[in-house]
Amino acid sequence: MTPVIDIRDLHVRFGEVEAVAGINLAAGSGRATALLGRNGAGKSTTMKVLAGVVPPTTGSVLVAGHDVAQDPLAVKRAVGYCPDVGGLVPRATPWEHLQLTARLRRMTEWEARGHDLLEKFELGDVAHRVVGGFSHGMSRRLSVVLAALHEPSVLLLDEPFDGVDPIGVEATLEVVADARARGACILLSTHLRDLALEACGSAIVLRGGSSVAEMPAAELTSEAYRALLD
Amino acid sequence: MRSSTETRTETWQGAAADLRHLLRFRSHGVRRPRVAAVAVTVLVAVTILMAVAPAWLTIEETGMSGDRARLLDDVLPAAFAGFLLLGIGASMGGGGGRELLPREQAVIHPIGPVTEHLGALVLAPLNLAWLLQAWTLFAFSALVVGPHGLVGAQVVVLLWLFVATALAQVVGWSVEGIRRTHHGVVIVRCATGAIGLALLVGQVAGQLDDLTHALPTAALADSLGEPQWPLVAALLVGLLVLAVALGAVPARWALRLPPREELRVESGVHEARPSPVARLLGEDLALLRRLDRGSVWRSVGMRRGLIVLGLGPALVALGTGLPWDTVLILPGLGASGAALLFGINAWCLDGRGMLWRESLPVAATRTFDARALVVAECLIVVSAVPVVVGSIRNGLPTQQVAISLTACWLVVVVQVLAIAMSWSVRRPYAVDLRSPRATPAPHAAMFGYALKLSLVTTLTGMLFVGSSGVDVWWLPLAMAAPFLVWSSVRLFRARRRWLSAPARAEIALTVAAG
Repeated sequence: MTPVIDIRDLHVRFGEVEAVAGINLAAGSGRATALLGRNGAGKSTTMKVLAGVVPPTTGSVLVAGHDVAQDPLAVKRAVGYCPDVGGLVPRATPWEHLQLTARLRRMTEWEARGHDLLEKFELGDVAHRVVGGFSHGMSRRLSVVLAALHEPSVLLLDEPFDGVDPIGVEATLEVVADARARGACILLSTHLRDLALEACGSAIVLRGGSSVAEMPAAELTSEAYRALLD
Repeated sequence: MRSSTETRTETWQGAAADLRHLLRFRSHGVRRPRVAAVAVTVLVAVTILMAVAPAWLTIEETGMSGDRARLLDDVLPAAFAGFLLLGIGASMGGGGGRELLPREQAVIHPIGPVTEHLGALVLAPLNLAWLLQAWTLFAFSALVVGPHGLVGAQVVVLLWLFVATALAQVVGWSVEGIRRTHHGVVIVRCATGAIGLALLVGQVAGQLDDLTHALPTAALADSLGEPQWPLVAALLVGLLVLAVALGAVPARWALRLPPREELRVESGVHEARPSPVARLLGEDLALLRRLDRGSVWRSVGMRRGLIVLGLGPALVALGTGLPWDTVLILPGLGASGAALLFGINAWCLDGRGMLWRESLPVAATRTFDARALVVAECLIVVSAVPVVVGSIRNGLPTQQVAISLTACWLVVVVQVLAIAMSWSVRRPYAVDLRSPRATPAPHAAMFGYALKLSLVTTLTGMLFVGSSGVDVWWLPLAMAAPFLVWSSVRLFRARRRWLSAPARAEIALTVAAG
């Protein structure tokens, strides 16, 4: 089966700093993969490359059959991305965010799904308030909603549980389960091993910008994870 | 041993020490320290030159009308008072004054209101308008006094600059305090409008000249070069100490209250409008532009800045009946001021949302065009208001002036837009513009930007002033052509840089890091 995400020898450099140093990764449809690792392991940079935001310095990255270096626009159409920080325009409302993402993806009849998702993430009451006044957890929840709105074939969630309350965590897990059920490929980056294992079937551990292990999530015990990090 | 977390009342000594630490911390963030050092040296040299050189000139040699008595009786008192008014306007517009550290960074530090107050005072001169006015005052004073008694006169002028800045800060903090009370925003708006209207009516009725003569600044002007200057200087030092100390009172009050206007914007309901229908440039562009417009007009600082920059010069033009050759300079200055509100770091409108914006499936050209259009709209509006209002007082200009004015306006708008977008793609900064005290770039960079923009647009404006006096209708158009071509090339280069994926990623990562 052709992987939906196919990364080969990915390197990303920012000046002198090598944020990603030779990652190889493959993920298929209908699967959720957890991307684990310490701070600075290269998880978020890898996610940004997959989202078409940061171009790879070297290496080959295919997302839903599109090369991110050659056709980032097609990649962006296929992907739903929840960035690791903020991810929201401070003086726009959640509804305006949804409107933009739907419009640019040529979605019609998106309003009902938008309402449902906002309600599910308990953001319905604040749909028309600017997000600058939101708490960190509310912003994270809205970022997941924006990533999931168009039912993308590739869902990239970077630290979606960070600072999120139990109801938000539950809703996020539900979004991941729904995406899996409809055959999407999910990549979920997090520090929280327990939640990663709950959401994902397999796990990839990154260290120092490279992947050091890939295994079924059930096999990633606390001790094994700790040993891989050191 | 005292605990580091023990609660202590903020003392002046402690505030001064904190200020020193914070300024040192900020100075480490200067990206090009050598350029900054050269800039400071040049500014000090120019200041000394402006304070000394005119003393050896006669008024006739400067090309100014009138004599020494007119400068002393009419111009200097008004200029001294004008400096104070400018300071009040700046501190009011800036929500009390500039902040030492961006709000998000400052929250983790125990920075007290007295430190904030001292910081706002120290940072006030990092404003081009402040410096230009200061140079003007130094130059006028040197011209009036001559070489004898020059040192004493300039000591008095320098002390006045400090006193006026400190007094302006007292007013600025007090107004910010009022603004943060219930109905405070309405009170401040009504009071500012009433004062502006009263000054306008007074000017039109010819009453402001009498007021100028009655101002205490008239006595200050009279003391220049006179033997009693040490006494005046001592009085000013006393007043300075008093004003600095007094400013801490409203600063403590204002900074204790919640920023009501910002909170109202953040908690207010903004019902979404339907997606825009297809227009000339496409639906995507229209929607992106609408979002960007919202980011500008929903920011308290930017909205306030655009209104002040548009209406301030317009009221002056209306009240004083500025001649057309002066009105020709205003679009450039207005456009420069508008660009300094956010245009010089245009991507900062997205803040941390820039990563998300960049993940949307839209052509990079559309994103650039939408942002450039929104910057251009702000420049056009702010620069147009004084010209339109000026024509109410002056009547319709002659054909030559009208052509020069139109050409000049178009040139400076495109010029400032090209410069701003070019800076935006080359030197982005992570900033949060929620607070009206925030600036779109660090203070030193802002000063450099202001200096460059004002210099370029003023020189351009002066060229078109020249063309308005020559009775050759095609001359302003011929002059405009090379300016427009060069600015278009610069804008095109900025756009091309934005279209490069690595450059765009660098901008997005920098801006979203705030």
